[in-house]
Amino acid sequence: MIAWLRQLSWPELRHHPWRAGAAFIAVLLGVALAFSVHLINQSALGEFSAAVRSINGEPDFELRGPAAGFDEALYARVAAHPRVAVASPIVEIETAVLDPQGRRIALRVLGVDALVAGTLAPALLPRVATGQGRYAVIDPATIFLNPQAQQRLGATGKTTLQTKTPRGPVDWRIGGGITAPGPPLAVVDIAGAQAAFDRLGRLHRIDVRLVRGADRAAVLRELALPAGVRAADPDEAAQRVSNVSRAYRVNLTVLALVALFTGAFLVFSILSLSVAQRQPQLALLGVLGLSARERLRLVLVEAALLGTVGSAAGLAVGTALAALALRLLGGDLGGGYFAGVSPELQFSPVAALVYGALGVAAAVVGGWLPARAAGRIAPAQGLKGLASTSDDTPMTALGPALLVTGVALALLPPITDIPLAAYGSVACLLLGGIACVPGAIGLALRGVRAPRHPLALLAVERARRQRNTATIAVAGVVASLSLAVALTVMVGSFRESVLAWLDTVLPADLYVRSGSGGPGSEPATLPAELAARAAAIDGVTRVESQRVTQLQLDPTKPTVALIARTLDDPAARLPLVGTLATLPPGRTAAYVSEAMVDLYDARPGTDLVLPLPDGTRAPVHVRGVWRDYARQHGAVVLTSADYQRLTGDLRSTDIALWLRAGTEVDAVRTALRRTAGELGFDGALLEFAEPGAIRTASLRIFDRSFAVTYWLQAVAIGIGLFGIGASFSAQVLARRKEFGLLAHLGFTRRQVLGIVGAECAVWTAAGALLGLLLGLAVSVVLVKVVNPQSFHWTMDLSVPWGRLALLCAAVLIAGTATGWLAARGAASRQLALAVKEDW
Amino acid sequence: MNAPPDRSTRVLAVRGLTKRYGDAVVFSHVDLDVARGEFVAVVGESGVGKSTLLNCIAALDSIDAGSVRILDVDVTSLDEAAQARLRRERLGFVFQAFHVLPHLTVADNVALPLLLQRRPDAARTREVLAAVGLDGFDERLPQTLSGGQLQRVAIARALVHRPPLILADEPTGNLDPRTAERVLAVLHEQIRREGAACVLVTHSAAAAARADRVVTLTASGIRS
Repeated sequence: MIAWLRQLSWPELRHHPWRAGAAFIAVLLGVALAFSVHLINQSALGEFSAAVRSINGEPDFELRGPAAGFDEALYARVAAHPRVAVASPIVEIETAVLDPQGRRIALRVLGVDALVAGTLAPALLPRVATGQGRYAVIDPATIFLNPQAQQRLGATGKTTLQTKTPRGPVDWRIGGGITAPGPPLAVVDIAGAQAAFDRLGRLHRIDVRLVRGADRAAVLRELALPAGVRAADPDEAAQRVSNVSRAYRVNLTVLALVALFTGAFLVFSILSLSVAQRQPQLALLGVLGLSARERLRLVLVEAALLGTVGSAAGLAVGTALAALALRLLGGDLGGGYFAGVSPELQFSPVAALVYGALGVAAAVVGGWLPARAAGRIAPAQGLKGLASTSDDTPMTALGPALLVTGVALALLPPITDIPLAAYGSVACLLLGGIACVPGAIGLALRGVRAPRHPLALLAVERARRQRNTATIAVAGVVASLSLAVALTVMVGSFRESVLAWLDTVLPADLYVRSGSGGPGSEPATLPAELAARAAAIDGVTRVESQRVTQLQLDPTKPTVALIARTLDDPAARLPLVGTLATLPPGRTAAYVSEAMVDLYDARPGTDLVLPLPDGTRAPVHVRGVWRDYARQHGAVVLTSADYQRLTGDLRSTDIALWLRAGTEVDAVRTALRRTAGELGFDGALLEFAEPGAIRTASLRIFDRSFAVTYWLQAVAIGIGLFGIGASFSAQVLARRKEFGLLAHLGFTRRQVLGIVGAECAVWTAAGALLGLLLGLAVSVVLVKVVNPQSFHWTMDLSVPWGRLALLCAAVLIAGTATGWLAARGAASRQLALAVKEDW
Repeated sequence: MNAPPDRSTRVLAVRGLTKRYGDAVVFSHVDLDVARGEFVAVVGESGVGKSTLLNCIAALDSIDAGSVRILDVDVTSLDEAAQARLRRERLGFVFQAFHVLPHLTVADNVALPLLLQRRPDAARTREVLAAVGLDGFDERLPQTLSGGQLQRVAIARALVHRPPLILADEPTGNLDPRTAERVLAVLHEQIRREGAACVLVTHSAAAAARADRVVTLTASGIRS
């Protein structure tokens, strides 16, 4: 085989280096993109998990309570248990600090007992700065910052830090640092934290290490944990982040593989045309004794070598890309799961092998049909130049079969929460659609009489007799355009649905909430009287308050938001999906987000038990399902009246205000801050938002999150256009005898190029039309299956026809121009000489 | 049967034709006249430029000196479009390797020159096919034909538009002697029948023997 490669393949490569170069670049780009996305996500997840582990330390288990915490009396019981070696009480606070530029930075503050915390979590052990005195670690007014907090807050060289709390700002003395990695984090003495953040007598968790040989179950049984407190594994948080970000990571990787998928088509185009051009050579070898199987193997080995070299370069480029991205963007590619994490690149040889193998597999798959065509060349016909230049095996059954399989796969449920069947469906739809092209052209041309115009005759008859060859030329464009169309429709649908959703969920003119509290944490409450006092402010016509709290329905899943709000007309005030179920008498109505249906099977008409913040459990009846793009892991809405009846909690976390037309929003803001101050709440902590600003910010975040898809579309289309250029120039080379004959018959070079240009335009248009249709079909799978299965929310299919028309027109123009230019270059040789080339 | 051609009409007049590739002279001072209905065989050693001479006559290759006139039209003075029109209307080609288009039927291959002149004529196509012995082959694809049959398709294509001059480049080079003899007979007969002139480049003594006149191309010109 090496001898054949040296004798046959190497001269071909040297003669057409750009052609092999195109396939090499396609594989390289595909592997590089997918591998870099994988490395970035893995590095971010690894860093995040390491940070969580170092903060949580190495206890045997953690005792965790509801978001509001639990009575610290439990600590005394736990610490006194004879089988408990170490018990470390912790208060967890999400707060905010202003950086030197006045920007609000989220800061997680852990209140710890420094004398025991270091035993279980050395990364939390305060390291007292020089000159701070050895008792600083138990000083309730001293704070210790981790490296990222020091850097982002500009704390280096400073001696004090001010945090915001509802009762006003709290000043801390910076006593030194802690080594814990990850996002901004601070450690203070537990008593100081309880006092400063109004958590006196409350704890959020107790880390426990048992004496050697102790039975964990028995200890827990003997401790008789109060309601709402449970034992959790230390790596639960890291595992949860891994789980919740998995769908996002997989989706991003699959998107990145789009380029490799398109690259396989380019390999297919290039090798097909290479085989077409070498047909006499292969036929001669057939005559000389190279068997069909050996010819097939020769082309397959060429494809594998191309894939191997491309993959190796792709892995190197991907690693460099990932290192660059981690340096410039951190670990977050737009999903927000790893915001604030600054990971080091974690190279994985196993992943490199997997992605390298994917690159080789893509090249081999792309080379399979050309290899089969090489094997099937009839030597005698090939020597005369009359053998088919492509595998003309009818694929009439394969295409429809793949399409049907694609539809069937789209109906299957996710596998381990990943829409694997739906991805298979997308692949089947694309391959099936392309495989249907020759048959569809045959059907379309069946009733078409041979035109009398010579150019039309040549084009139509070529399409009729050699439709597989033309399919090869447009396969890349079909694949890339269909994926671009699908992504455009999916992103457009999502954007439109988010806009419609924002219109429903933001009916008021001004929204107010407490500025303390971080994402996913228990938000700080507003004074109970603030809503009533706000209604009295001049210009305010209506006020609604809302209470948001976090519930842990399942320890293996993230918390669920419980929203208690005014809900006089659920159908009008909630973006409902489907109809409302009838509420049985005496039951409490709950309205759940779509994620609750997927994650907790909370369907309308069923009952759900809510573990309320006070530790009690409340059965509720699910009346309806609503769309929630703000919380991926689930939300439950109760009416404020029901929530207050169940919990006795009258506090609120958010207030919505409707204003009289012409009211100065700034004046209302000022009045509310003043009113909050009068109620003992630091008015500076109030955060205001207007629907327009929320909308703008939401769309900015949305566009940033999906920016990567636009780049991937551009890469895919670039590869597709490259494929057209390569295919058509190679076709012109393969057809040079035909064009030489036409020159003898009286065609000018311009006319010959006219034929190529017209054929290129017609085939690109056909490819664009097919790509559009397939893209729309794939977009339905993405919108209706992949997204709900990945993120647990649905969206309305919205087709941005204008953008799609522009996309198709751009591909048509670029494809025609690329093909024509490539053909022009290829046809620059004297056409007349072509007929002299002997087979 | 058409009337015998008027041999007083000069179809092709080549004067002082010189062709070089860089500093290498392929041939020089070539003079050649071909009258209507005349069948001229050009012989010569391999590499002397016989095929190049045909390309120069058809304005498919540039010349370095001299002139080529076809029916009193100076081919070398025409622009590319006019040269193409001249080939389309006044020349017919037969090649050694047949050069039929594999995706066109036999009839469509033969009719191509007529279509190029925007005057499709199915009856004429059938007539020429029948004349070369391929009656009933209209809808066959080239892949299904033998070498001899393919060359007869090429001859029919060269004649279908009644060009005054046929340029044939080793038309029997790919055929066995018996088939070559039959194809030559068809070519000779049909050229006579259509009243066309023919310049035949060949190595074959048998092919040359059918010509009215045999000339030898050398680097320094043509010898009769």
